[in-house]
Amino acid sequence: MNTEKIITLENVVKRFKVGDGEFTALKDINLNFDKGEFAGLVGPSGSGKTTLLNIIGSLDSPTEGTATVMGKSISELSHKESALLRNHHIGFIFQVYNLLPVYTVYENVEFALLLQNHSAEERKKAVMDALDWVGIADMANKKPAKLSGGEGQRVAIARAMVKKPQILLADEPTANLDAENAHAILQTMKSLNKELDTTFLFSTHDEKVMKYMDRIIHLRDGSVEKDEIINSKSSSK
Amino acid sequence: MIKFLLKGIIRDKSRSILPIIITAIGVTLTVFLSGYMRGAMGDMIDLNARFETGHIKVMTQPYLKNKDQLPNDLALLEVSELIADLEKDFPEISWEKRIRFGGLVDAPDENGLTQGQGPAAGLAIDLFSKHSNEIGRMNLAPAIVNGTIPIRPGEALISEDFSQKINASVGDDVTFVGSTMNGSMAFQNFKVAGTVRFGSAAMDKGAIIIDITDAQNMLDMEDGAGEILGYFPNDVYDNNDATQIAETFNAKYIDSDDEFAPIMQSLKQQNGLASLLDYADVMSGMFVAIFVFAMSIVLWNTGLLGGLRRYQEYGIRLALGESKGHIYRMMISEAVLIGILGSILGSILGLAAAYALQVYGFDISEFAPQSNMLMPNVIRAKVTPDLFYIGFIPGVFAMVLGTALSGIGIYKRETATLFKELEV
Ligand SMILES: Nc1ncnc2c1ncn2[C@@H]1O[C@H](COP(=O)(O)OP(=O)(O)O)[C@@H](O)[C@H]1O
Ligand SMILES: [Mg+2]
Repeated sequence: MNTEKIITLENVVKRFKVGDGEFTALKDINLNFDKGEFAGLVGPSGSGKTTLLNIIGSLDSPTEGTATVMGKSISELSHKESALLRNHHIGFIFQVYNLLPVYTVYENVEFALLLQNHSAEERKKAVMDALDWVGIADMANKKPAKLSGGEGQRVAIARAMVKKPQILLADEPTANLDAENAHAILQTMKSLNKELDTTFLFSTHDEKVMKYMDRIIHLRDGSVEKDEIINSKSSSK
Repeated sequence: MIKFLLKGIIRDKSRSILPIIITAIGVTLTVFLSGYMRGAMGDMIDLNARFETGHIKVMTQPYLKNKDQLPNDLALLEVSELIADLEKDFPEISWEKRIRFGGLVDAPDENGLTQGQGPAAGLAIDLFSKHSNEIGRMNLAPAIVNGTIPIRPGEALISEDFSQKINASVGDDVTFVGSTMNGSMAFQNFKVAGTVRFGSAAMDKGAIIIDITDAQNMLDMEDGAGEILGYFPNDVYDNNDATQIAETFNAKYIDSDDEFAPIMQSLKQQNGLASLLDYADVMSGMFVAIFVFAMSIVLWNTGLLGGLRRYQEYGIRLALGESKGHIYRMMISEAVLIGILGSILGSILGLAAAYALQVYGFDISEFAPQSNMLMPNVIRAKVTPDLFYIGFIPGVFAMVLGTALSGIGIYKRETATLFKELEV
């Protein structure tokens, strides 16, 4: 089960139009991820981390090559199908935690479930569970503006995890956090990874984050420079 | 999800207040102006009823056909009997005889020589009967410029402008020259009891009002009248009742072979008032259309500005797996909610304003240079049942249209571009 390839990237190229010319952000990327991996994309700013995560998250599609996520080829999905894939199987966490400011912590987390068909009771249970995982159940009724950076990022994790996605994509999740909060968040994510067998894929250039990774992929100028396996996943479960 | 949207609308004031205010203002104006127009139309119809058509009117059939020629040779005869019948059959209606006629009015000097004369439209109404309310109905008292309302036979009112033109003032004698019902010459002297202002150029140029009995004598129309007008209690017109009464009355004479058999017409059947009412509907329809157009454009722009502010939110929602179509539909649902809130508010305000103008009226006699017979002294609105939705539906529609237009931008954008807005 664990060796099932949940994400496969084959010769993925991404070009952006820039003025009259083109800019190649990803050059011939070949990568595979197993279910349950805890992996990081590491590289300097502009190396293509976000672009790669967006393609895996079906927010964008490759110019060339194929990106297959959960058996589906991203470039062949309709807009609706890709929304459905995100809604059910992919969670996002961003650098800026991006909560909807008018809604409470509880409502922010609940939103992801409103798009699916769950009863109010199911939703309530799932939301409270998710807030429990990240340790902020007591803040359910607060507004985002009242939260600290660390708390906000926990809500974002709860929101991404509440639907128990297969894949969680985190784009520089600790960039705006102090060391203590960064560690706490990573520990939370690591334990969720163990508990729910969710595949975690980070982008970061933060040394602190790298320590937690089972696998680190170094990107430079849109190419994979090095792909290191640090902890073999097969031994852990 | 609707609950979710409502929370957003209520908590994020900047998202809702401006559109609600815009919608409310538009709806208020629509409702109020429609109410004002209903009132003005009502006044116009009322005026017609008082001066010309009655709420229902009885004439002979040939008189009706040639109405414009004041054909008194075709007038009703034995009207006492007819009125007695009418009073028996329709006891709630007040019936009034009137005669319209035309001729020449001549003002002589002390020596009997003409010092001024001119053609005049004549109107004979019941000035002296106790039961008659014609003086009030014709708004005579406020319209008097000099002198008084006639108090005895042989007295007349003439229009003020006419009195100056022919040099006849209050107390002077004038001679009316015309033709009787049978076509012979009619001469009669009247004493000018007062002068009035009609408020219509045609009437002010030359008109004379006398008592109905004087007219019957002068025109050889014993127990005759050109027309019998019927008025509902309190002078309030009801088209259904009027139509009903006219049908009942006319049924009695349908088989009559008397070519002078009477015929009854409701107010709406006369003087093209039906088309006037339709015209009023078209006008208010156009007003509503213009309002929807203008509001939509304003709300479109408001939506565009609001949308810019919310790109980040849309980005998050896309990432959470909402489709663009769903986001768009939610925007529309939000617009419906906001439109409903704004329209409810606007309808309440508009109705309140129209109702106030209906009850209290707006007295324009201070602003109008002179009061006259044909102009109402008080402007009133009229609250009709359609005011409850006439602004409401366009209000919601304008909000939805404005939002739909501004939301197209969201649709056209690439997911990735929308999402880019997230990277601050
Ligand atoms: N939509 C876009 N249009 C043009 N260029 C882009 C776009 N998105 C990313 N890029 C470029 O692609 C490169 C990689 O960007 P990104 O994936 O955001 O890097 P990272 O996340 O590693 O900092 C950068 O040089 C960036 O300017
Ligand atoms: Mg980035």
